[in-house]
Amino acid sequence: MQRILNALLQFRNPILYYFLLGLAISFAYNRSPFHEYNIEKYGFFFSSKLYAARDGISQYFKLSIVNQQLLEENKRLKVNELISSEILLYPAALKKTKRFPFNVKKARVLKNSFQNQRNYLTIDIGSIDGVKPEMGVISNNGIIGVVHSVTDHYANVISVLHQDLKINVRATKSPAFGSLVWSGKKPHEFRVEDVVSNANIKIGDTLITGGMSSYFPLGIPIGKITRLDKIEGSGYYSIDVELFEDLSQIYYVYVLENIDFQELQSLQKKLPQ
Amino acid sequence: MKIISLVPAISFILLVLAQVMVFNHLHIFGEINPMLYLLFFFVYRFESEQTVLIGLAFLLGFLIDFLSQTGGAHTIATLTVGFLRPLIIRYAFGVTIETPQSYFSDSRTLNKLIYLLLLVLLHHSLYFTLVYFSWEALSLIAKNTILTSIFSLILIGITLSFYPNKK
Repeated sequence: MQRILNALLQFRNPILYYFLLGLAISFAYNRSPFHEYNIEKYGFFFSSKLYAARDGISQYFKLSIVNQQLLEENKRLKVNELISSEILLYPAALKKTKRFPFNVKKARVLKNSFQNQRNYLTIDIGSIDGVKPEMGVISNNGIIGVVHSVTDHYANVISVLHQDLKINVRATKSPAFGSLVWSGKKPHEFRVEDVVSNANIKIGDTLITGGMSSYFPLGIPIGKITRLDKIEGSGYYSIDVELFEDLSQIYYVYVLENIDFQELQSLQKKLPQ
Repeated sequence: MKIISLVPAISFILLVLAQVMVFNHLHIFGEINPMLYLLFFFVYRFESEQTVLIGLAFLLGFLIDFLSQTGGAHTIATLTVGFLRPLIIRYAFGVTIETPQSYFSDSRTLNKLIYLLLLVLLHHSLYFTLVYFSWEALSLIAKNTILTSIFSLILIGITLSFYPNKK
């Protein structure tokens, strides 16, 4: 017994090192979603307080850029207003009114990262404002990500610059759909996977959201195709995409609440696994 | 014991805060974030208990991962550097490792520089390997390691000159 204790004491440094190393690796790669969520919620609580304080100062210096963005958006809204007033003149085209199951909430970005392999944003609305996990987040130029975790006044958003996030997309001119993924190297390089090679698409085509997930409605413009290759023998295209949104310059975003989310989820559960 | 350990203790807290609040958001040339917190391994006394250092290194990396929501790369890299520190010290300062504290403040700048260089290079190469974790990104890992090391070294050097001279 004494010997075992002596040996343990003698090798206490390597033992401690390997124990902590194992702990760190298991944190990094085998985190169960539940623990991950709970641990991150506390870390996120502290960091969001810190960022809120820092943001108060830096926000002042961003005013001019934000003003420009607001002007840009107002301009586009004006165009929409004009289009809708034109539709008012010809109501026959819109006889069947469609149901639109999304509510829009405005939020400000407190923290935005785009340097890591898995990036997150922090926004200034939370569960009190009705934000829940798995809501889609868009900006005036495209999609930003999906809400991950929520505290009372803040929410954490998985950015589209996240290697594990896939988003259902299609081209404006072809209904063939695929998944948008980030290649993980530069913030503007994206790929689209799983588009069948007989789809009628060209370089320069605009990509829009496909509307097949519960996060985003159909038809939000995302980016345009910059490269298009047929992979020999696989039957799929290899597509490179450039986003419209500059993900390093986001200050205001919109959170999309899907009113039918619960309904869609319960329907999914009824499917045979 | 009481007075000497005050400097590392305050440094520890200040370094974590500075890293998370300021230096993780610098983005020099668009992508370089120098890591000032490695300064802790310089401030912490050389002949101190190794076991405590390993624990502190783990805590340091974990806090930075925790507050900047990175996966765990900081923890693994910092912990390994903490564990290998006696080896690095032996390599940089020669065999006279069991030296009193005064030896450290007397030793030549070159030795300190080698020590710092080894420490930073080891940490950064580990960190970026863990962050990218793929063979395709090998050149990216090398590039990031070298560029970030340069800026970390400069920053640590500047910050060190503000430290009280321990005599």
